[in-house]
Amino acid sequence: MEELEKKLLEVKDTSELMVDLAYSSLLYNNRDIAQEVMELEEYTDELTTSIQQEAIRRAMSDGDVSRAFVTIKLVESLEEICDAASGIADVVMKNVEPHPVIKMSIRDSEVTIATATVIEGSDLADKTLDESKLASQSGMWVVAIKRGRRYVYGPDEETSVLVGDTLIVRGPRDGEEFFKDLASGKARLV
Amino acid sequence: MGHEDGKDKVPRTVRDILTEMKDTSEVIVDLAYAALVFDSQEMAEEVQHLERRMDILLYNIRIKAMLSARTKRDAEQLAGLLQVASAAEAISNAAGDIVNLLKYDSDKRPFLPIFLKEAEEKIKSLTLAEKSDMVNRTIGEMGVESETGMRIIALKRGKRWMYDPEPNNRLKAGDLLIVRGTDNGFEVLRSFASGDRLWPQYPVKEAG
Repeated sequence: MEELEKKLLEVKDTSELMVDLAYSSLLYNNRDIAQEVMELEEYTDELTTSIQQEAIRRAMSDGDVSRAFVTIKLVESLEEICDAASGIADVVMKNVEPHPVIKMSIRDSEVTIATATVIEGSDLADKTLDESKLASQSGMWVVAIKRGRRYVYGPDEETSVLVGDTLIVRGPRDGEEFFKDLASGKARLV
Repeated sequence: MGHEDGKDKVPRTVRDILTEMKDTSEVIVDLAYAALVFDSQEMAEEVQHLERRMDILLYNIRIKAMLSARTKRDAEQLAGLLQVASAAEAISNAAGDIVNLLKYDSDKRPFLPIFLKEAEEKIKSLTLAEKSDMVNRTIGEMGVESETGMRIIALKRGKRWMYDPEPNNRLKAGDLLIVRGTDNGFEVLRSFASGDRLWPQYPVKEAG
């Protein structure tokens, strides 16, 4: 994959992370997470501009206008999703408690958000996300990890989970209980 | 989500409308990427259908929200709620724009499926083998997503597509499943769908 496509993919993956983080910030009325969405929005803005410029530059050298056009259109749509995510997170930044119905809707949704703290003895502790295969085991995808006062946003497969980490996850409602039991050591990985 | 009878009615409460809008804003993006990956005009049409539905939902939730405001604080909170609804609708518009790229000849966008194959969560397809014990069981009773991490975003049975299939949808041999998730999850699901492994059984939980 060329550099430009890699950047495009980065915008796509980040747009999804931003939507998940935005809903998480609303559900927990958490300004730290909302702030991260705002910062990611600036990051994807810059990436978008650089992708569009690069696409034009490439078209000027290889003459492939259609490819440049499709790239520019696609990244524009991805950026719209990022904008929408920051629009969601912005609700948290206002000095008004989010409407209780918003939380209910997020919890009612097919894709819900949950959180649990990993205690000593849990199968999730001292393993990378790839080793525990949490996503394929429980359907829950880790959006952020709170470690002490700091957050790790959008962890990857190589990220280790430590005792005391609070995981914020996104996934199906029927995966939530198993995820929580895994974190508390009540259930074991298969 | 389909187009079955009665399902196109707008939910009665703000809560239910917002839930549907949130759900739709998520599945519509997956469907848009799937339309690009599989170069599918049918999936693109579903995306456009959902996009129009979101317009209707947004209009309705605005009216209901306005009618329910009694105090200044209500109005402030409802303004935030409508901001979320608008964002969900904006995501759907973006998904609609993404499938519009299918208008251009596929030789002008050959990199689209390739780049989507490298995403963190990928969209793939598989066919349910006759010998798989997923056959004749519902998506909900198996808990496909919680068991494998793979979400079924669409399925094709014969010539008919079903989008965002319901938990009570009973799978049939030969169903083509379009799924979203990690590589690892896909391998797990494929082992069940091919019949190489049996769907896990869990002891029935004791009451309480």
